[in-house]
Order: sequence, then C-alpha cells, then structure tokens
Amino acid sequence: MSERSAIQASFTIERVFDAPPGRVFQCFADAETKRRWACHENWAMSEFDFRPGGREVSSGGEPGRPVYGFNGRYQDIVPDRRIVFAFEMARDGVRFSISVGTIQFEPHGAGTRLLFTEQGVFLDGHEDPARREQGSGTGLDNLAEMLRREAVAA
Amino acid sequence: MTERSVTHATFVVDRTYDAPVERVYAACSDPVAKARWFVGPDAWDKSDHKLDFRVGGAESVSGGPPGGPIHHYAAVIWDIVPNERIVSTYEMHMDEIRISVSLATLELRPAGSGTRIVYTEQGAFLDGYDNAGQREEGTRGLFDQLEAALKRESADA
Repeated sequence: MSERSAIQASFTIERVFDAPPGRVFQCFADAETKRRWACHENWAMSEFDFRPGGREVSSGGEPGRPVYGFNGRYQDIVPDRRIVFAFEMARDGVRFSISVGTIQFEPHGAGTRLLFTEQGVFLDGHEDPARREQGSGTGLDNLAEMLRREAVAA
Repeated sequence: MTERSVTHATFVVDRTYDAPVERVYAACSDPVAKARWFVGPDAWDKSDHKLDFRVGGAESVSGGPPGGPIHHYAAVIWDIVPNERIVSTYEMHMDEIRISVSLATLELRPAGSGTRIVYTEQGAFLDGYDNAGQREEGTRGLFDQLEAALKRESADA
C-alpha cells in the first residue's frame, strides 16, 4: 500500500499596488492581460473562462524538468472586489494539492491593497506547503512588475 | 458601497464509527446510501440529492424550512482514494446568495473493527452570512446522521 497523507495549510499574502482596484482586478479577469504577467516561455495558459463555474488551465516547466499543471475552477466573482477559485496542481500528471484561493481587492488611497489567501491540502508528501507560499509571492511580484512598467509607459 | 468580507477558518470533525471502512466509504460514495443521511434537519421539505461519484463529478442537494430560505449545496470532487480519502470543494447558497466556498477533506482509517473518520473543512465564509462555528455545528449534525444511518443498516442486516 502506498503511503497516503494529507496536510492542510493556509497562508495569506498581501501586496499594495499604485494602480486602482479596477485595473488590478482586470489583470485577473482578462485573458490577454493575465497572460502578460502570469505566463512566460515555460508557462502557458490553455483555457480561461472567467465566470463562476468557468475553468482556467495552464501548465509548463523548465526543459528537462517535470511538467506542472494547474487546473482551476472559478467559484465566486465580485467585480473589482473579490475572486474565489478552487484548483489542483499536478506534477507529471500526478495530483499533489487541492486548494481554495481567495483574492480580495481593496481601495488603498488611489491604489489597491490585494490579499491572496490560499487554503490547501497537500497530498501524499509530494509538496512542501512553504514552497507554495513562495511561488504565489513570485506570481504577485510579476504582476507588480507589469503594473510598474505600465505606469512608466503612461 | 456594499460591505464585502471573507473570513477564512478551518475545523476538524474526528469520529469513530462501529462499522468497517468499506461500509462507511460506501455511505459516502454511493448515491443511494448517501441520500439516507446527507440531508437537512427533519423539519425541512424533502430535498433532491444527486451524486456523480468520480473525479470531476458533482454533488448537489437543496432544502430548507417551510417558508424559509432554500439552502443549496453544490460540490465538485477533486480526489478519490477508495476506502481512504475523498477531497471535494463545495459552495453553499442561501437562495441566490453564495455564502461560502470550502475545501473538504475526508479521510477514513480502520480503527479496530470500526472506522475513524477525520473530516477537515477549510472554508471561505463570504460577507458574514455564515461562520465557521455554525458550519461546524451543522457538519457535526450530519456526521451524527451518518452514525444513525450506519446503525440502522446494521440492525437491518
């Protein structure tokens, strides 16, 4: 019998952006805008349907390394305020976590305070929850960088 | 501006049943067996439980007190290990309003001739309609109903 385990973990990350909530929300709601900060040569989004019950699917990985897959489903969307989604991650086709993600967008002066909370279950010892927190932080750093470039170009 | 809020909370229900793992798992995975216990309190109008038990399958049930709001449960199954684990996410609606999104992990382990279940819910409770304490109480009630259903099965056998 294989070793089975399920470890729950939760974390919240906060970021402040100079862009207003409507613009930051759009970075999650619009496929092409999302691709600009969330995707690169090693990560591509193949499905994006931004409505409750809609799917988002992406995958990738460095050459010669395992292929990671993200399979998500939108649950709750409040325009410019909140997104709640459920998702699983897999490595080489083997599921290793299932999570609920909550993104909240709050006005912060003329900008936005974004809170990302992940509540996840990590399966069968395949992944350390601390690495997930780190990876999520990197994603938001990429968003911040794109918004900064936009502000400079404007 | 409408007040919006999210409260994130986790609770655990840890119970032991006097039935073997295969029977407890069947009560959680077979649509006919699950409909016998996965229902609202007796006072609620008859509800229509549906379960498509497979990864990616859906489960739903609705009900409510006569004349009161209708509670809708809608789940998607993400992970199944037969006789060991079921992981799903589910939403609750009160009438048209979505009040929560939760991750639910059910683990089953043999305990002597019985079964220990550990159910962990990690919930996002939306806009103050419900809270973890009430949800935990309601969930414990459901697991009481599972115990009663298992006992009735044993008595009938």
